[in-house]
Amino acid sequence: MELFLQTVIDGLLIGGLIIVVGIGFSLCFGVMHIVDFAVGEWVMLGAYIGFLFVRYLGHDPMIYLPIIFLIFCACGWAIYPLIFRAVSGKRHNPVLMGLVFTFGLSILAKGGALSVWGYHIQSITTWLSGKSISLDVATIPALRFAGFLFGILITVLFMIFLYRTNLGITIRATAQDREMANLLGADVRKVGAFVYSLYAGVTGMSGVLIGALFSIHATMGAKYCTLAFFVVVLAGMGYVPGVIIAALILGLLQSFVGVYIGGRYNLVALFMVMYGVLLITPKGILRKGI
Amino acid sequence: MKKQMYRKLIILSFIALVIVMVGFALPPYGQAQEKRDFFKIGVVTSLSGELAFGGSVTKRGYDLWADTVNALGGIEIAGKKYKVNLVYADDQSTPATAAVAGERLITQEQVDFILGPYASGTTLALAPITEKYKMPHITGSAESPLIWKRKFKYTFGTIPTVTLIAQASIQTLAKDVSPKPKTIAILGIDDAFSKFGAEAFKTTAEKEGIKVLKYDIVPEGTDYTPSISAIKALNPDIFAMGNHEKAAIEMMKIAKELKFNPKAFVQHYGMTTPDFRKGLGKDSEFVFGTAVWTPNLKHEGTILFKTTKEYADAFKTKFGTDPDYTEAASTAAGITFQEALRMIKAKPPLTQEQKDALIGALEKLNIKTFYGPIKFATEGDFYHDNAGLQPIALQYQGGKIVEVGPGKLRVVSPKYPTPSWDKR
Amino acid sequence: MSVVGERIKANSTALIWQWVFLGLIFLVSLIIPWIVSPLWVRIITEILMWAGLAQSWNIIGGYTGYLSFGHGAFFGMGAYVTGIAMMNLEWPFGVGLLLSGIMAALLAVVIGYPTLRLRGAYFAIATWAFGEMIRQIALILEITGGAFGMQLPAFLNLPFFYYVTLGITGLTYLTTYLLLERSRFGYKLLAIREHEEAAEMVGVDTVVIKMKAFALSAFFPGVFGGIYAYWVTYIHPDSVFGAIITDFMVVMAFLGGIGSLWGPFLGAVVVQLVNRILWLTWGEGTFYLVIIGAAICGVVLFIPNGIVGLLEARIFSPREALSQLRKMVKW
Repeated sequence: MELFLQTVIDGLLIGGLIIVVGIGFSLCFGVMHIVDFAVGEWVMLGAYIGFLFVRYLGHDPMIYLPIIFLIFCACGWAIYPLIFRAVSGKRHNPVLMGLVFTFGLSILAKGGALSVWGYHIQSITTWLSGKSISLDVATIPALRFAGFLFGILITVLFMIFLYRTNLGITIRATAQDREMANLLGADVRKVGAFVYSLYAGVTGMSGVLIGALFSIHATMGAKYCTLAFFVVVLAGMGYVPGVIIAALILGLLQSFVGVYIGGRYNLVALFMVMYGVLLITPKGILRKGI
Repeated sequence: MKKQMYRKLIILSFIALVIVMVGFALPPYGQAQEKRDFFKIGVVTSLSGELAFGGSVTKRGYDLWADTVNALGGIEIAGKKYKVNLVYADDQSTPATAAVAGERLITQEQVDFILGPYASGTTLALAPITEKYKMPHITGSAESPLIWKRKFKYTFGTIPTVTLIAQASIQTLAKDVSPKPKTIAILGIDDAFSKFGAEAFKTTAEKEGIKVLKYDIVPEGTDYTPSISAIKALNPDIFAMGNHEKAAIEMMKIAKELKFNPKAFVQHYGMTTPDFRKGLGKDSEFVFGTAVWTPNLKHEGTILFKTTKEYADAFKTKFGTDPDYTEAASTAAGITFQEALRMIKAKPPLTQEQKDALIGALEKLNIKTFYGPIKFATEGDFYHDNAGLQPIALQYQGGKIVEVGPGKLRVVSPKYPTPSWDKR
Repeated sequence: MSVVGERIKANSTALIWQWVFLGLIFLVSLIIPWIVSPLWVRIITEILMWAGLAQSWNIIGGYTGYLSFGHGAFFGMGAYVTGIAMMNLEWPFGVGLLLSGIMAALLAVVIGYPTLRLRGAYFAIATWAFGEMIRQIALILEITGGAFGMQLPAFLNLPFFYYVTLGITGLTYLTTYLLLERSRFGYKLLAIREHEEAAEMVGVDTVVIKMKAFALSAFFPGVFGGIYAYWVTYIHPDSVFGAIITDFMVVMAFLGGIGSLWGPFLGAVVVQLVNRILWLTWGEGTFYLVIIGAAICGVVLFIPNGIVGLLEARIFSPREALSQLRKMVKW
């Protein structure tokens, strides 16, 4: 029974981290119909920048979270016009052009990171690292729990933003029907830029957290790209609340397969489920995707 | 049809550009060996790609050998000294490029012999090439037993395979500590090297009468928490990890978070790297590992470096860190060639007969170096591997790596059982 | 995109020139192993293989408009089928190759049936997920050797592999030319790419046509995988199933010009040549990734029709090129 409980907790915590990566990604697709292949690279860059801050300025990496958020927002804002150009105009297949463009970005970022920072594996720790909350029946690692709370917090903030503010309503309108929103006065380009920079900022921030929990390496991005895809496919592309459920399912799946079946089948199970969902309910298990 | 003509022009100029690019990189081919009075040595290793870290390790080892030899004026053969010149070719961490790299060094650069790659996969792709061109090839790093099973005539290795090395830590725990551990759980990463390590742990444990409670192999990059939770629930005495340093760091972090306290943490390769220590800090204490060589050994050599300490000091002066056994093995590969060349009294550039004679010399070789004895097996599963080298169990104590066994190889007693996380 | 019809109306002089040109290139390619150093024979063989791979991807990605991001799975499948056929069953190489192609095509049919129902981004992600899944399965199975990889006997006749690769690549291009550029099949694919619903309404059996295209696009990578396995003699899920195979295929096709006959060839030449030349002169191998990434972004932004598109646009002089560029970018 103890093991079962620990497995559940492990799963929920794994999922919690992924929520943040999934939310931004889902929003990106929902609003701008852009599949950002570079999502993993944003995580990686966030982790590296966090690492650099710690190395040159010291202190706990968590302090730098707000600054990193701003830095990445700025990067997203700067890159978005290029993405916009890639998906608009007389291009043949906008969604696919955007996909290929972000694919190119991810290769660029990965190559750049490898060239500039090399191949050493870096690590950062925070005051929460290594600490855990010990219950009688299970142990809860503190930093992961913090990550989980962070994920929930971000989701809640996003939901409030999307459903209670004017800008949020504009964003949702743009997601539903771009042309109409444009006709009604929404500056579609600015909305897109805003969403993208928000997404970059949040994903970059999560990178710091992930870097503290695992290790930092220039090729770590691919794993998070996989997880983001999985979460968003399950949740339904563009459907933000579904991300929490999907992320938790992901975590539980990994956890249970890892404990009871064997770690080797972890990724196979992941892909099978993802593939299955795509075939049976491509709009996500709640059928609310775009 | 001006448009058509212009289009043709552009296409033709494109082709011309390609030819020019190719021509500029095209070598003078098929020329007879130019005369030279230095040894030209090809090195294939991972200078880029995911194994670049390992590649740089071998590079340092090979570089130190070349620099030291040249500082002394060169390799001494029959009274005259010949300098050495290393020519590097990057294998980009992929087998296909390793093959091209080999082809390039042999046919274009016309090297005398080759020092091999870091990884086993790339070595496996390079070996058939050196075999085809009958080019002597020693690898200072690749540890997979698959290489030696193929019985390549022209390939040798200075490091015993991982299946031989990994045993040492388990043997130490089985024999040199009390109370003797009764159970073990093994978690290995699903890559060629780590999996062999994990299997070696398993076979050795079974031979020593330690019960294997769980043997799990996981893909690289997944979250190891579930696997370690499951292992924790079984409460093994020993937790053995078959992996490289990246996964090792993550597994230790997770063990600490889950408050998993086996009586011993065993790792294989990676705990000796500075990254491991930097990544874990104090948490690296008490971790066991294995090596075939450490800077503290008391080997004596007849060639180049008289003692282990002399080598370690030279390395530290040049690179600023302590050498690990892959670097030592790489330097030893250079020394091996040096001695074999001396034995056959070969002068550069080497002819094919001299290269074949070199193979004969390598098979007969039996020397003592700062790295330990070097004698290549000439038959059996470890054909052309330096299988005689004794593996040593190590442990992190007080921030330093010390030799703890097995048996008489120890310098310090192993610390067992490992204190639990909250008591540190 | 090159519209099929345009070729038919081509000026007859230009057509003759094209054939003469091709014939010359073909003759030169036959004697390459005898005039060039082994290193370059190897490099050219690599370029040919990639040209074939990129073109295969082009069949489903460029002509049909379904971007397959897991195409490397077929290459890996072919590699392992040949490996198993030669090592475990001890069948000759030729049989292994044929089997590789057939098995890869079968795999395409099996996964194509459910997956081709998806559109656009979903198809891309599904194929990507599928590609990764196959790689993980290859790591687990015993018969593939799992994480230890598989070794094949070494047959070190370089010209042999050159000619085999040349042959198969030639076959790929010939097939593409005959089936896609010069037949109704090609028109149907084009219709599907441009507007699938309309195509259905006009009577094109999109399901069957897509499956055929997908299977065709998988056959050749399977064969190339088999060649690769025998050539490099060591295969491992990371080297033959890795994302890098698919990445390169997509990049080369895009750079050269998707949907065109010669685009992938140009793309393959440029990318692989740049890769190798940088490797030869610079010695370092990661910076080219930056160049590739920048190239893809550049292509998508400025020349979405690839190099071939550049050649077909009416660009007479550098000044015109610049003004065209400026117009496109709206700066």
